[in-house]
Order: sequence, then C-alpha cells, then structure tokens
Amino acid sequence: MNSCTEINDRLIESTIEIFTGMVMMDISVAGEPMNKLGPLKKSITGMVGLAGTHKGVLAVHFPKQVALAVTSNFLGMEVEEINEDVQDAIGEIANMLGGNLKTILSDRGKDIQLSLPSTIFGDEYAFSSQAEVDQVILPFQAPAGLFYVEVELER
Amino acid sequence: MGLENYLSNATMEVFASMIFIDITPESPSGEPMPEIEPNLSSLIGLAGDLKGILAIHCPSAVALGVTAAMLGMEVTELDEDVKDAIGEIANMVAGGLKESLAAEDKKIELAIPTTVIGKSIRTSGLSGATRAMVTFSSPLGRFGVELRFILS
Repeated sequence: MNSCTEINDRLIESTIEIFTGMVMMDISVAGEPMNKLGPLKKSITGMVGLAGTHKGVLAVHFPKQVALAVTSNFLGMEVEEINEDVQDAIGEIANMLGGNLKTILSDRGKDIQLSLPSTIFGDEYAFSSQAEVDQVILPFQAPAGLFYVEVELER
Repeated sequence: MGLENYLSNATMEVFASMIFIDITPESPSGEPMPEIEPNLSSLIGLAGDLKGILAIHCPSAVALGVTAAMLGMEVTELDEDVKDAIGEIANMVAGGLKESLAAEDKKIELAIPTTVIGKSIRTSGLSGATRAMVTFSSPLGRFGVELRFILS
C-alpha cells in the first residue's frame, strides 16, 4: 500500500481537479489533514463505499451554503434549498472522488469496487465509522466556505 | 428476487442469534406506514452485481435498547458503543443479504459500516435507484432497514 502522505497528496490533487474541471469552481487546501471533525451543522454529506482489496468509505461534507453553490455551478442552475438536485450533485461528487481514490489505492482501480453513492443531511449530526480504520480528513476552501473530504479505510 | 424478504430474514436472524429481542416485520397493508424518525442511522455500501447502500434507521430508544441487549450492559447515551453495535448489525444484515444473493448467482462485496448520529437526519440515494424498505416493531419501538440499489 502507498504511504498515507502520498494518498493524501494525490487525493488533494484529484479533488482540485474535479472542482476545477467539473464543478468549475476554484478551491484550495485549507490547512493540514485532520483526524477528527466536530458535529456537522446544517450540512450535507455525500458518501460512497469501497469494497474489494480495500474496504472503506469516502465522504465529502458540505455546509449547506457551500453545497448550494457547488450544485448551482455543477448543474448550471440556481438552487436555493437542499432538494433532489443537490442530493444527486453531492452524491455524484462523492462518486467521482471515490472513483479517483480507487485508482490511487490500486493500479487502475481494478480490484476495488464502489457502492452506490448516498447522501445524508440534517440540522446537526456526527459522522463516524467503526473503530478499526485509518482515517483522514482533508479541509478545502471554496468561495462559499469550507468543506471536507474524509477517507476511512479498514486496516 | 424478493429483496424485502431477504432484508427481513437477514434482520430477523441477526436479532434471533445475537440480540435476543423479539422483532416483527410490519406488513404494509394499504395504509402508509408512519415514517421512522431516526436519531441514529448505520449505513454500509454494497458493490458488485448489485450496487447499493443498506441502512438501519433507529430512534434513540431502539438504538440504546439493542446495544444494551447485545453487550449485556446498561447504555444511556448514543456513544461509541452504540455506534459500533448498530454498525455491526448493519454489517451482519448486509452479510445475510450477500448470502441470499449468492444463492441467485449474484455476487456482492461489502464496504465498511458508517454511522450517523443526530437530530432530524435524512439519508437518500441517487434519484435513479430503487428503494426497498422493511420496518419492524419491537418492545423497544419501531425501526427500519432500508436498501437503495441499482442492478449492474
């Protein structure tokens, strides 16, 4: 397995690529990788599971105003509430990030499969997986605010 | 393929063998069932011939009671133990579903369980996915097992 730092670096690179190329939004790294995130308030999380030689979860956490800006840019339409379009857009971003993570973890991603993306939203929630995982949270700055890309992989 | 049956059987088996709480699947009979308002949802991704996400949705009372029964100790808060217990149930129910699908020559692999704890949390899949939902009644209250999927 690649070293954690290399995975982080390549994941940062592909997150920026997806946002520049697909969402048409300039984002930048907003600090060092983190190990823990407090409760998420008025947010939406997109997640996708990884199964196969690496088992885990990729999640991307957006505060509501960032999720709305991302969806508006991504779909080229104004959205004002967390509706089905926002859920689909955020799920699709998790799916694209998961696809890239697959290739980062395994040569051409051939031994890893992705689950269906899913979204979670609410006024306040905590997101966590089981104890026995390696976890990293990468913070990013978008024009509308901060968002986080989280990866949890079974040891 | 009776996915609701698979979900229902897998859940009953986990409860009968590990938790020892009587649960009964609620049969949808015309009347729409009241929604489950979860305080805790454990989700696990499924990949392979069926791509999906399986979720266990529990109100606090059910999550606490099930964890207490499973671990044989008192639990009063939605803490690490509860997260691990319900996450493990999601894992085992998904394992049961995997076995049922294998009997139909459909191969799936499991990701790892993730748990969300909070107030008025909602989960959803992609808009193109199919949804299968089974709700159960138990002495602790109602809870739901949900599968959103596409066949690939």
